[in-house]
Amino acid sequence: MDRRHFIKQSTLLSIGGLLIPSTLLSACRKETLFEDINYDGKVIIIGAGAAGLYAAYILKSKGIDFQILEASANYGGRLGKLTGFANFPIDTGAQWLHGKNSILGDLITRSKTKITLDDSETKYWFNNQLVSSLPQNTDIFEGDDLPDISYNDYALQKGLGNEYKYIVENIAGDQGAAATRLSVFGNNQDEENWNSGDDDFKFQETYFDLIDTQFASQVKNKILFNTIVTKIDYSQSTIQITDSNNNTYNADKAIITVPIPILKSGDIQFIPTLLNEKTTAFSKIGMDAGMKVFLKFSNKFFDQNIIGGPICAAYADDSIGKAQNDNVLLAFIMGVQAEYLTSLGSDTAITTALLQELDTMYNGQATASFVASHVQNWTINPFIKGAYSYSTVGMGDARKVATKPINKKLYFAGEAMNTNGHHQTVHGAVETGYRAVINILNDIKK
Amino acid sequence: MRAILFGILFFTFNSIIAQEFRTDISYKYIFANKWDKAIQTYNFSRPFLEEKQPLLMHGLNASVSYIFKSSSSLKHGINISYTYFKSTAENENLNNILNLHFLNLGYIIHYENNEKTKGLYTDLIISVVSSGLFRNVNDEPFEYDGTRSKAFGIGGDMSIKAGYYLNLKNKINLSPFVLVGYTPYIYSPNSEAVINQTKGLVSNNWTGIFTTQIGLTFHIRQQQKD
Repeated sequence: MDRRHFIKQSTLLSIGGLLIPSTLLSACRKETLFEDINYDGKVIIIGAGAAGLYAAYILKSKGIDFQILEASANYGGRLGKLTGFANFPIDTGAQWLHGKNSILGDLITRSKTKITLDDSETKYWFNNQLVSSLPQNTDIFEGDDLPDISYNDYALQKGLGNEYKYIVENIAGDQGAAATRLSVFGNNQDEENWNSGDDDFKFQETYFDLIDTQFASQVKNKILFNTIVTKIDYSQSTIQITDSNNNTYNADKAIITVPIPILKSGDIQFIPTLLNEKTTAFSKIGMDAGMKVFLKFSNKFFDQNIIGGPICAAYADDSIGKAQNDNVLLAFIMGVQAEYLTSLGSDTAITTALLQELDTMYNGQATASFVASHVQNWTINPFIKGAYSYSTVGMGDARKVATKPINKKLYFAGEAMNTNGHHQTVHGAVETGYRAVINILNDIKK
Repeated sequence: MRAILFGILFFTFNSIIAQEFRTDISYKYIFANKWDKAIQTYNFSRPFLEEKQPLLMHGLNASVSYIFKSSSSLKHGINISYTYFKSTAENENLNNILNLHFLNLGYIIHYENNEKTKGLYTDLIISVVSSGLFRNVNDEPFEYDGTRSKAFGIGGDMSIKAGYYLNLKNKINLSPFVLVGYTPYIYSPNSEAVINQTKGLVSNNWTGIFTTQIGLTFHIRQQQKD
């Protein structure tokens, strides 16, 4: 072989050897997961909250047959919208977008949904007076080597005495929990995984509107309302689901998105019964009582945020971020405070208790200017039974165990099933919705 | 004036210690499975995107190398290399761009034997790799909490390059080359958060990268081989 031939052949071989595998590899590399998958089975989604609706939206995009069974007469789960109470729409459920770095952040950008950074100012009810700052630093629940004890116990250990009780209750309440039940260690781990951003945003319309217009609208025709699932029989190749009217529904796969208290309380019977490991995991995931009370006044006597009340540890001006500005104060009540107010037995009693507290803080101005109230008590909703999930003391990896699919048939989603630190949130619920579909399609592929 | 001074210093340095100075430009193809998976999940989980986000695979590379003087057919050198990858998906109100940058600092073992394989050379390049992944949305850097969405990474790379010298004029050569490389481990803990806005949902914090390159090298050599 002469030099010229050698060069020519070497060059051709090198280029061919490089480009052919690269081209073949490029052709094999699909832009999306499961691009070519065809599945003619049926998926039933139990629950039409954010997770269920998003799972349905993904299934629809893949051309997979699905049905949503919803126990209540509405979709949205713990998202809700109240109109007519004020001159702006009110979020009766989830209200704040927690960080923009999420799939919902993309949806907001794409849809040009109007959101506003909530940087409202805070006053504290401390030692029976409203103050702008606290004598001691309460930012003690993040860091390394935190113990697996409750917020309440840890606060006491760190010298935050009884005068800080309701300040700490508010910090825990932000996580939907009573300070005596939320784990410092567990919640800190969740915070470490958090990556959507720390800024909170409010919707000019409502959070419900975003979900409704962006994906619920595309799947709501597949929802069977007032369908209370009581039994899931997954003993045969086809899953048989029974509702409270003894109607049955057959499916090949089921995505269960009901709130954690429904799974804990055994409202749904599983056949065969779930493994002890699974039910124990459910029982370890916390979810406390929670309610939102909207108080409308004739004048704005209140501050933007009031933290530390013994009846309600967190009040917030609900008009912030809205296009109109009726004087609506939100009482955001979680944990033991929500349990107490629920025990009063009526919306009137709850409103009265809150007005009395505000009267103490603002010298009787609350009752004097009170116009109306709306109580949204998620605790007494039989299909919700609380606010949102949190990490309890001694919870360990319960969320991961709870989330594990069963027999390639049952898949779990919903905010409580988010194992990446984004439980308690709508975007976290949405993540679990599409993760459940990924798990289903992975199992089909196998 | 500065340019002239730099030129004088460069040629002085080159003639004293360098056997060969090279600069090259090339097309680079990468296959990073876990980054693929993150983009595939991004596309899968967002049916509202009409235009899907392309995978990060096609890039442009530029590098500069010095091969140090030696009488042996096996020589040593150093290399610095930069590669840029871009993935753009233009959707209504959501023009999403991923910019991926690599900077390699490498050590070269250069082999050429004019008696056996005239003009052919082979390099083994062992490098430290650093990467930076950034997201732009609607032509602006994507920020949250007042900070740019970004992911930095670090790893090690091993590549084999083969080329053929074509003499242009005395001391100046051009060589077409091909290169294959493998980065077994690049640790980039925030990549998934930049690509899919999740953490721990798609993959863990590291990925391996397979690379191939094809390009042209421009050489200034002290001893002309022909």
